Amino acid sequence: MKKNLLQAYKQAPWRTQIQWIGIFLLVLVGVAVVAGVYLMVSGRAAATGRRIQSLEAEISALEMEINDLKTQYAEVSSAKSLSERANALNMTLLDPIEAMYIEVPGYVPPSQPVLAPPPAVEEISTPVLLPEFTASLWDWLRLEVFIEPSLPAESTESVTTEVAPAPTEVAP
Amino acid sequence: MKTTNWNRFFIICVLASVVAGVAGVQLIRIQNIEGAKQILADSEAYQGINRMIYPERGSIYDSDGRLLAGNEVIYEVGLDLQALEDGQRETVASVASSVLGLDYARILGYTQMTPGNGNPYFIVLDGFVSKDKIAQLESIKEDYANRSTKRGEVRPNLNGLVWTANNKRSYPEGTLASNILGFYSFLDRTDGIGYFGVEEAYDKLMAGEPKQVYSAIDPNLLTSIEEVPPGVTVQLTFNREIQAMTETKLDEAIEWSGAENGTIIVYDPETGEIVAMATTPRLDPNEYWNYSDLFPNPTPYNAAISSTYEPGSVFKVITMAAGLDSGAVKPETIFNDTGSLYVGGATIYNWNMGGWGEVDMTGCMQHSLNVCLAWVGMELGPDRFYTYMKSFGFDRNTGIDLGGESHWPLKLPGDGLWYEVDLATNSFGQGISVTPIQMVTAIGAIANDGKMMAPHVVKAMVIDGKQYNIDPVVVSTPVSADTAHTLTSMLVNSLENEASNALVEGYSLAGKTGTGEIATPLGYTNSTTNTSFVGWGPAEDPKFLVYVWLEKPEISIWGSEVAAPVFADLVKDLVVLMNIPPDNVRLADKLGENSFAISE
Repeated sequence: MKKNLLQAYKQAPWRTQIQWIGIFLLVLVGVAVVAGVYLMVSGRAAATGRRIQSLEAEISALEMEINDLKTQYAEVSSAKSLSERANALNMTLLDPIEAMYIEVPGYVPPSQPVLAPPPAVEEISTPVLLPEFTASLWDWLRLEVFIEPSLPAESTESVTTEVAPAPTEVAP
Repeated sequence: MKTTNWNRFFIICVLASVVAGVAGVQLIRIQNIEGAKQILADSEAYQGINRMIYPERGSIYDSDGRLLAGNEVIYEVGLDLQALEDGQRETVASVASSVLGLDYARILGYTQMTPGNGNPYFIVLDGFVSKDKIAQLESIKEDYANRSTKRGEVRPNLNGLVWTANNKRSYPEGTLASNILGFYSFLDRTDGIGYFGVEEAYDKLMAGEPKQVYSAIDPNLLTSIEEVPPGVTVQLTFNREIQAMTETKLDEAIEWSGAENGTIIVYDPETGEIVAMATTPRLDPNEYWNYSDLFPNPTPYNAAISSTYEPGSVFKVITMAAGLDSGAVKPETIFNDTGSLYVGGATIYNWNMGGWGEVDMTGCMQHSLNVCLAWVGMELGPDRFYTYMKSFGFDRNTGIDLGGESHWPLKLPGDGLWYEVDLATNSFGQGISVTPIQMVTAIGAIANDGKMMAPHVVKAMVIDGKQYNIDPVVVSTPVSADTAHTLTSMLVNSLENEASNALVEGYSLAGKTGTGEIATPLGYTNSTTNTSFVGWGPAEDPKFLVYVWLEKPEISIWGSEVAAPVFADLVKDLVVLMNIPPDNVRLADKLGENSFAISE
């Protein structure tokens, strides 16, 4: 049987050539697929990066516009502007003697406006996506294989009860 | 396969490998030659841009959260010489000159420059262009883009004329509270600094930290641009409406009295917060370049914290507080006023040059007797008197968080310039120089159970999105609570007995007038004076302390005739704006002080 197979190949050498060509094409397709995937991923990463930069620029422009609108609002509602409008409406400041004070049980005067939350209030950020959806394969491997096994038993328990922190670096 | 075919195949493989090998070696060699390294280094300049990002300057708000200093968008318009097109240079120059109001020939000259070889690539035409003008440029640009052209005709464009948005400091209230705010030199975009007031005191915090940021152009190197946090935002203690009212009252008082300048401070003695602080002159910080015209040397930017003067009789409040607290005198102590007192080679007289006979301490304050207060000072003795002066803070700045505060050194026994008569004259406010803010801080202790608070204008700061409130700080307790209450009662009675011009119907107020003679190279003159009044109320639970100083009034030289009515006029509006009901309503209140609402 073996002798017959060798005989058949010797009588038709194109079979060997096809075999080599097949192997070569297989390697070529493999390389092309890897290159294609790399090109697609890097292209998408670049496009996303550009989009992020564009959004950051947009955020910056919007922040400037918000500040500008706040300033414009402050100008139209300035003390001088409101005073002029009040005068135009024949309004005058109340004379304290003419004022009638009414006791209002439960009345709470307006409190001081707060520009921002106090430092004691921590903002609770809930991740929209679990780390498993955002971590790269390398991050996952690093966490599962290199970091977590090296943690002491007590620490491991505490880590497992908490949501793992989102990766802070972008994997290469 | 035949041997011949294998040989051919082998030879082709070897040749291909040799060629590939040579190419590979050459590639490696090219990448490592000296020139290649230089090219690689040069290429890095095209991979990204290093930019210095200046954070948005922190805003300033009043106690009610109204914006006092913010940032508005302004545009920088310039020429990108590489982007200019031949045949369009005249168009660009024409449009830029007509919209920006610049010289056509100068702009045309810029457009005809060749970039590089010593010439710039970018030329700034105007760094502060308003949004309206940018809208005009955009409209023209759009009009050109939509314009239909005939065959052979070139469509005009503005390529090369570029504009970028920037922040510019803006003060929407104009001159309001400009003496408190100070100003920021926004014309210097990279090295602008804050001058005077809050802008100076909090300059570094509000400016934030500029950061060098790398922005990649190479798509493979793109990263998120580092965030530059904005500067610290501050919320002030003063209320815009009260500040506006105070400034109006001051301007009216100056016009009415013919005074050269004036200062009014409204202060919360319980917390040390400045509720209003009005001075003259006032600068519009949006046009800060007028500073030198409006404030010729040595006019202070904010007289309330940096102008020293001899206060006159308002200082008697301090002397009497020291006398009562030390036990040197009591309210019922009788002083036989003969009209003069000889001290250290000089004779002290009363303001009317007459004697008032036997008067108690309330009478001394009511009639503002120099001789009596000089005697109180002598009873205290220099050691105790000046210990109290230091305790009240007259030997130092108050430390108010405004740029530009100063004080006049306090002459003390042992100093070369101190004489025995100084103890007597200092006791009634002559021979001693103070700033209005020193007076307010010191007398604030009498209105606050003896506790002297640190005066401040910043109520809270917003840092990294968190608000940090500033807590009141007790600087010292120069007199006991009993002394403070006793003196307040004495001053309430003296005002009422005198039927003072400072009285406001319905409200119990404590206060004291002041008329300070002005020292000249030829000695003191009483033809021009510094008139002042300090008062606080409601007397049993003070919510405000008002200090009025009018410099060299023309209609009268007396504080009781000039400053006292201004105080009363201001307090009438102040109690409405602060929502403080009259005594009969407030004291009858069974629900607590915050249970009232004003109704017409």
